[in-house]
Amino acid sequence: MATEEETRGGFGQVSQLRGAAFRYVALAASLFGIVMLAALLANAVFDAFGLDAASGSWYLAYAVGAGLPALVVAAYGYRNRAAGAVSLRTLAILVVGTFVALGLAVMFVIFDAQAWFVYYTFAVLPATATFVYARSREDARAPFLATGVLVAGAVAGTVVWNVLFTYPVDWTIYLWTFVVPAAAAVATLYRRRTGSGWRRAALAGLGVVVGGGVVGFTLQATGLLDPGVGIFLYLTPVLPAVVYARDVLVGREGRAGLLAPVVLAAGVAVGWLLAGAIGATGPESWLDWQFLTSPPSQTPTQAGLYPAIVGSVFVIVIVAVVSFVLGVGAAVYLEEYAPSSGPLGWLTRLIRINISNLAGVPSVVYGLLGLAVFVNLLGLGFGTVVVAGFTLSLLILPIVIISAQEAIRSVPSDQRQASLGMGATRWQTIRNVVLPRSLPGVLTGTILSLSRAIGETAPLLMIGAPNTVFSPPTGLASRVSVMPLQVFHWAFAAQEDFRVGVAAAGVVTLLVVLLAMNSMAILLRNRYQRSA
Amino acid sequence: MSGDATGADLTGSRGLQRIREGTYGTVFFVFAVLTVLTTVAILLTLLVDALGFFSGYSPIAFLTGTEWSPVIRPVSFGVLPLVFGTLVVTVTSGLIAIPIGVLTAIYLSEFATVRTRSILKPLLEILAGVPTVVYGWFALVYITPALRRTIFPGISTFNVLSASIVVGIMIVPMVSSISEDAMSAVPDSLREAGYGLGATKFSVSVGIVVPAAISGIVSSFILALSRAIGETMAVTVAMGLQPRLPTVQSATVAGLSVPYVNPADVFLQPGQTMTSAMVQIAQGDLSGGSIAYDSLFAIGLTLFVITLAMNVVSDYVTERYREEY
Repeated sequence: MATEEETRGGFGQVSQLRGAAFRYVALAASLFGIVMLAALLANAVFDAFGLDAASGSWYLAYAVGAGLPALVVAAYGYRNRAAGAVSLRTLAILVVGTFVALGLAVMFVIFDAQAWFVYYTFAVLPATATFVYARSREDARAPFLATGVLVAGAVAGTVVWNVLFTYPVDWTIYLWTFVVPAAAAVATLYRRRTGSGWRRAALAGLGVVVGGGVVGFTLQATGLLDPGVGIFLYLTPVLPAVVYARDVLVGREGRAGLLAPVVLAAGVAVGWLLAGAIGATGPESWLDWQFLTSPPSQTPTQAGLYPAIVGSVFVIVIVAVVSFVLGVGAAVYLEEYAPSSGPLGWLTRLIRINISNLAGVPSVVYGLLGLAVFVNLLGLGFGTVVVAGFTLSLLILPIVIISAQEAIRSVPSDQRQASLGMGATRWQTIRNVVLPRSLPGVLTGTILSLSRAIGETAPLLMIGAPNTVFSPPTGLASRVSVMPLQVFHWAFAAQEDFRVGVAAAGVVTLLVVLLAMNSMAILLRNRYQRSA
Repeated sequence: MSGDATGADLTGSRGLQRIREGTYGTVFFVFAVLTVLTTVAILLTLLVDALGFFSGYSPIAFLTGTEWSPVIRPVSFGVLPLVFGTLVVTVTSGLIAIPIGVLTAIYLSEFATVRTRSILKPLLEILAGVPTVVYGWFALVYITPALRRTIFPGISTFNVLSASIVVGIMIVPMVSSISEDAMSAVPDSLREAGYGLGATKFSVSVGIVVPAAISGIVSSFILALSRAIGETMAVTVAMGLQPRLPTVQSATVAGLSVPYVNPADVFLQPGQTMTSAMVQIAQGDLSGGSIAYDSLFAIGLTLFVITLAMNVVSDYVTERYREEY
């Protein structure tokens, strides 16, 4: 940089020390917050999984059994870059897929699998089939036909739901509603990739279904794992990994990388055997399946987050619908309709200034608004799902509007001009050009705002939401607790097991949900940036 | 695209078309106006209930009273201890976040490679994305015990210091991202002029870029502090629920009696902010009409006015002192 050049000439010496010191101080400052947070998170994970209960020999067993193979894999991947990339991608598919599988499993703890079976069979499947068929015939009415079928199917499904009382086992429902469509997707993909005939593709699809059936049957017979969870694990981590492995094997580059998960899994198994052999005490995890599926309790080991998870889902669905419709509508008005002069132009300027100021209003104040308007004025009840949903929608509305405005603004104006020049009206231009082009950006902004709404606590305390409820909400008018409220409650508990262990499990669950939402938003954004 | 492009619209009735166009425009306009209505509703609810409070309790006693006890009789609604608590947290977290945030912004805008930036920026965004109740829990369960083990053995379980530290961490991204935007907007010609005169990278960063971006940097400070003032859950969890003013002691220096406040009395002890006082009242009785309920809105109004004023000042600073390039 400039400093090196100056020291050479006859202009005297300039010390590089100050600049270098400043540079490193600035770097340290940038890392400070990140490192602090990482340390705190590491502590929380440590407590959530109860790792302090584990003995030294347990760590040693796993270090030898699992750590050494991991080091070998890392070293090999570093030297052989292609294999390294393949192994990273395989691991990513497996990890993300496992999270998706667990998420699906939790969803079906919350929602009834049998109702899903009925509505899928009568509404979702026929509607999708109609849409795909109409599209393949290039029939312009595809969306309308599909919507019609969906509505009719929903009505039929409701009738059936009320008269049908015997249902297949849950895992066969998942096989029918998830694995069969996945098999169809695999078959299509297979045909497209290999250019082979329908027969071989159908065979591949059939293989996928049979594989799922085998997994389900084996698990049901042996009782090793819940067959439903097994089906989800087969569906989201295993199936994509197999498809990816096939691509790599055909491509012949970095094939050794595919062995990485096998080596790592074998390492963990060796660690497990070693720990068992020397009789080491393992960790006592607070965060387990029981924690996710039980209500809160007086006893730390039986306490769970289930009603709060369901509450968060209920609230967030309302927030998503309300804030998306209102936010995108307002953004479309501000970007596409709003005049810049006249009395309406003045009002538009007022709206813009107002939105940026609303974004800075503290969240407790929104809670007071909810308390005064939704609870006391409209009488919607203390801390009910609908009040919580509306209050949080108002809270994130300014952020949704601002991000939607940016996404809409980024649509090139020549595309608008082209559409208008073809004789389309303003609304047709918006619906066919502006909204489809800006949708990924709008979705990214909405998801990020929703992840803020999931973590909000203060406004919910203001509207009288209970910290702890023992049963999940059953409708819009039930009182609701959400994940952060439950964590808030545990943080003040007298017992250390609650304050540290159980609360840590709650914090980790909440953060995993947030991380999943944010990575979804970032994935969307990256795809969008690449295509734009 | 979908169906409409293939036809139908040319033959469609113009009258119906116009009605449909008008309807969509109006509906979206109503959505946009809804945001203004939100502000009006906030102001109205705060004002109405705060007026109810001030008709039963003197505003002067509210603003100058030194004791806050909304529930325990005799009730007393002096807001000063709460204002003091808020002020201490805001200033302390600002002292942490402002230098770190500005240095981060300088590093990201002037020193970091494209690759480093692409890693650091999302990581910093995570700092702002962690729920505040989680920050409060971190402070209570990890930071306070760590401080007790190392520097301050006498620190109380709930204390101002650890709350301020986490609030500081959470507002760092606010300072850094807005400041960095301002610094990135400084044209390269200014930097090159600096290098042409023989300045070092350090002198260019600190002597040219920072002054040129000062309006954005200052407005980032104001926004971050305004966020710290409105911050609720971290302080509620970590700082405790005891409204208190420090006791003023006096020392005799050279025959003169000098009043002072022991910092340990401020930082290592519990306190209460305006926001956490609101949470405390809300945890009790929320059925309208009582004076405690109305006091909620009086504090809310105070908070709203302060944060609104800070946002307006920040906008003004950005507009007024912006360097046009």
